[in-house]
Amino acid sequence: MNETTPIAAGRFIGQRMPRKEDPRLLTGRGTFVDDISFPGMLHVAFVRSPIARGKITGIDLSVARGMPGVHAVYTAADLAKIKVTPLSFFLTPSEVEVPLLATDHVAYAGDPVVLIVADDRYLAEDAASVVTVDYEEEDPVVSLADARNGALVHPGTESNVSAAMGLDEDEDGEALLAGAAHLINRTVIHQRISQSPMETRGIVVSKQGAGELLVHITCQSPHMIARYLTIALGMPEYSIRVLAKDVGGSFGLKNTPWREELAVIAAALLLGRPLKWIEDRLENLISANQAREQEMTMRVGFDGQGKLLAARGEYSSNNGAYPQGADANVAVHMFMWAAYKIPYYSFYTQGWYSNTVGLAAYRGPWALESLIREAMLDIAARQLGIDPVEIRRRNLVTLADQPTATTMGIPLEDITPAECLEKLLTVLDIDAFRREQAAARQEGRHLGLGIATYIEPTGSAGSMPVMTGELAQLRVEPTGKVTATMSTHSQGHGTQTTMAQVIADRLGVPYEDVTVFEGDSAHGGFGPGAAGSRQGVIGGGASLKAAGLLQQKVKTLAAHLLNANVEDVSLEGGVIHVAGSPEMTRSLRQIAEIAYGEPARLPPGFEAGLEAQYRYTPPPMTFTSAAHGCIVEVDIETGFVKILRWISSEDCGNVINPAVVEGQIAGGLAQAIGMVLLEEAGYDARGNPIAVTFKDYLLPAISDVPDFEYVHASTPSQSEGGFRGVGEGGAIIGPPTLFNAIADALSPFGEVPLTLPLTPTRLLEVIEGRSMTSVAHAPAPVAPVVTEVAPAPVAAPAPPAAPARVDGLWKMVMASPMGGQEMKGRLATEGTTLTGTLLSDQGNQDFAGSIEGNRLKWEMKVTKPVSLTLKYDLVVEGDSISGKVKMGMFGTAKLTGERLE
Amino acid sequence: MKPAPFDYVRPDTIEEACAVLAEAGGGAQVLAGGQTLMPLLALRMSQPFIMVDINRIAVLKGIVTGPEGTRIGPMTRQNEVIADAALARALPMLVTAARHVGHHQTRNRGTIGGSIALGEPAAEMPAAAVALGASVTLRSVRGSRTIKAEDMYLGPYATVLEPDELLTEISYPAWPVDSITIFREIAQRPGDFALVGLVGTVVVENGRIARAGLAWFGMGPTPIRARQAEAALLGQDIARLDGRGLAELAVADTAPFDDHHASAEYRRTVGRRIFARTLTEALNVRQAG
Repeated sequence: MNETTPIAAGRFIGQRMPRKEDPRLLTGRGTFVDDISFPGMLHVAFVRSPIARGKITGIDLSVARGMPGVHAVYTAADLAKIKVTPLSFFLTPSEVEVPLLATDHVAYAGDPVVLIVADDRYLAEDAASVVTVDYEEEDPVVSLADARNGALVHPGTESNVSAAMGLDEDEDGEALLAGAAHLINRTVIHQRISQSPMETRGIVVSKQGAGELLVHITCQSPHMIARYLTIALGMPEYSIRVLAKDVGGSFGLKNTPWREELAVIAAALLLGRPLKWIEDRLENLISANQAREQEMTMRVGFDGQGKLLAARGEYSSNNGAYPQGADANVAVHMFMWAAYKIPYYSFYTQGWYSNTVGLAAYRGPWALESLIREAMLDIAARQLGIDPVEIRRRNLVTLADQPTATTMGIPLEDITPAECLEKLLTVLDIDAFRREQAAARQEGRHLGLGIATYIEPTGSAGSMPVMTGELAQLRVEPTGKVTATMSTHSQGHGTQTTMAQVIADRLGVPYEDVTVFEGDSAHGGFGPGAAGSRQGVIGGGASLKAAGLLQQKVKTLAAHLLNANVEDVSLEGGVIHVAGSPEMTRSLRQIAEIAYGEPARLPPGFEAGLEAQYRYTPPPMTFTSAAHGCIVEVDIETGFVKILRWISSEDCGNVINPAVVEGQIAGGLAQAIGMVLLEEAGYDARGNPIAVTFKDYLLPAISDVPDFEYVHASTPSQSEGGFRGVGEGGAIIGPPTLFNAIADALSPFGEVPLTLPLTPTRLLEVIEGRSMTSVAHAPAPVAPVVTEVAPAPVAAPAPPAAPARVDGLWKMVMASPMGGQEMKGRLATEGTTLTGTLLSDQGNQDFAGSIEGNRLKWEMKVTKPVSLTLKYDLVVEGDSISGKVKMGMFGTAKLTGERLE
Repeated sequence: MKPAPFDYVRPDTIEEACAVLAEAGGGAQVLAGGQTLMPLLALRMSQPFIMVDINRIAVLKGIVTGPEGTRIGPMTRQNEVIADAALARALPMLVTAARHVGHHQTRNRGTIGGSIALGEPAAEMPAAAVALGASVTLRSVRGSRTIKAEDMYLGPYATVLEPDELLTEISYPAWPVDSITIFREIAQRPGDFALVGLVGTVVVENGRIARAGLAWFGMGPTPIRARQAEAALLGQDIARLDGRGLAELAVADTAPFDDHHASAEYRRTVGRRIFARTLTEALNVRQAG
């Protein structure tokens, strides 16, 4: 564990300092990607597929090519001259080939087919409108049900499953559930969401001579994009510099470049001219990657007192044709019950390909866990006749229970959801509300109260290759002012403010004297950016550490110059004091001028200048906890929801700037309100998007978002400065909080379906107790994949008739979080001892284990993608081998294989 | 803003504008407030060959209120409709409805004529014109014709306006100054188009309904006049109204549709409810006052 320094509310840490970004942004002086221009720059527009699926039978470019002002008209074949490999956020190639432009077939409505380069965007779009593409249309695979039953989205794959993990059948879990006093079974259907950043995607690419590629791109970290492009382009002859000074929101969409941005880079390299592409809102809502679209069935067993016994979750997401990460969202399961005492949880999780635009991240990508868990806890409380607060009190992990570990092996040391809940109850008088609710019902008014609790992993570092620490480089300039270049990056997070607060506080200078620079891959150092609520935790820790080093340097030099003891020297408000000697007071500028300009006066061995840097790596995960409470009124005449009150009681450790923290929570909650009530980026049965402008894609407006109340329960974390991340929490805990409030309000009528968004139609159906939905509006919920299974008698595997032949070379495939992993294993037995070697791309690894009949068991430690102990439990039958591999917090993966030798 | 190329003319007179429209043969687009048109142009969902900007035609602006009724120039901004004191006395329902058009910022530019000519079925101004019994004057080089607002709409964004015709006046008949406003709009966010909307004016004489004009918006492919309910209301004693029965009649004329914001059955159900409640509440307020 890192050495940590406790911190209390200081001179600047913990204060509502005005944001340094605001004067620039609020007066329209920000620098966004569309503000960038180069001499000779040309503009890009795309020709996109109007259909969801089909073969391209012909493309006529002749008219477009002949238009004045048109410089290039590129198809996939043209761009193929530049080899570009789209990568996931973890910098691994996609499971299926991701073409920059459609090759011989289109895979979703909006699929880019032709790239046009012209003098301006007008001409580029004019030319795009005269390109003729002939299609042989095919029936598209649109919904999850289509993906399960329909044609292959990507020919050559075995199925439309893009990733799968966990156990598709679980006898142990079934037995536990069958023995539970109460079993609750629900399915949640979460709609597709558009991240809808205010600034759409955009890129300006400029080749600076033969050797340098300058990329301005709206993104979540210029350092991350530079690293990504270096690998994706594989062109050692280019140095790549990425810049993004201001970014108008991202929310996960801009984690990495995707097809269009990479196509523009390829086109710029081909053409040798600076190119600009700015996505318009129509393109953004049709062809920018989207998020969510998940279905999950959960069964939870409780004992007679409402204590959790076991749970089983089955999850599917519609990943689209070319998802930015073709995964099965295992994090949903990792954090499903992480804050609760539950003896057993198992899952099966799948991602599916379809003829829709691919999925990307969205604030709290695993948030479905909180929605389904917290909603089902309330449903259970209602069924068992327990108060919703009480059922959580009986099951939450409290501080007294820690240290402990979750069912899936995640260590817990200082989570505080139970404590946040008690703090919430000091400002939310539930008894008073219940009286008000009862009185209102007499008048025909329907109020509801929703409570939810959760924890969230933040500040992740050190467990996955791209999730690194953060770097702070500080210097006291010869002027006495302080400059910081950071690996952090703001898309609205205000890191120029919060990092300056931390630096000013620790260094001992005025807040106004600190300037933070970020947004340039040429300055600072690598950081993955705003991903996983990490920058405050890790950037804050790096700032503290670097400021401490720099202050020590200032003190050392001042002590030498003033002939004083270092211990007597202090730096406060940018002024150097020597204890007991007011005449020795010096400004920081006086000391700095000497540090840079008069090397002869420096102490022996003292490096000239006043500069320091620190790359801080925190503990692997820092948990943030919260409990929220929300009160709504549902108009039973119309099914409209009005939010009357919303209280956030969150524990994000030491707060750097309460206004920034509250802004993060409020933003996430606004998005939560949008997800629960308004937003839906879906498709019709032919794969046509149903919401392509903001007339149909309804974002929450100021009128839909209440004034939130905040309670900060600040338990310092184990990381430097005691900070915890707060970027995503509102979007995770918001949906169940609001859902539970609506469900409570309508409980006299019936149960509210876990189908988002809760449109007025869906709520009126509950109120009326009849179906009011048309076929076009809502597909019938797909039946849970697994129906109730009678508890199977748990019996030891039957002993084999004859000892199985184990020795030899086996080919095996394991369904892992990163997709199917192929490996070969050479096994040898001697008595009950098993030895062997696993041969894979990552190298060979020896292991030893045991054999009993035909059952093999061994354990192996791996370090990639994270440090884990894999526990193999396999059965050999004839020439086939199968079984499961327990992978710690990643759950259990299936393994199948056959004999090679 | 990156529309497809178009020619732009800004005539000073109706005659010039009509001449351009005639010459364009269907390829022209009239620019009034631009609050709907500009986004459609930017996304190239609308691609006219020639843009006829009527903002400089002075006679198309203004509100004239008199004993014969009210005439409003189509270029009158929606916020000017809201701010007009004489109009607020003459046609209070129109002012109430105008407050629900878009947002304050868009109403500064958006015009009443633009809204009426566009024919969005879930918009307030077309339904208000239908309910009030308004007429619209359409001019072209071929001449001038005046038709009833309720005869103007054929379907979503489809009107009887010929490509060479320009809307030059909206004429509302006089209603007694103590007419009662009926207005209720169910929209997911303020400023959105309605899921269900009801607009109307009712005249009460000696406790009985003497005149009624009622129309729905968002309840079918066009604004829909609630003819059966209007007829049933005439002569009714307002103390003994059968709200539910009238509501059934009122929705009988509608033809709501399904979309991903609301189902047809939702619109019908809520339509019935808001009709009964809005009517009773409006009349109760009057009795109390």
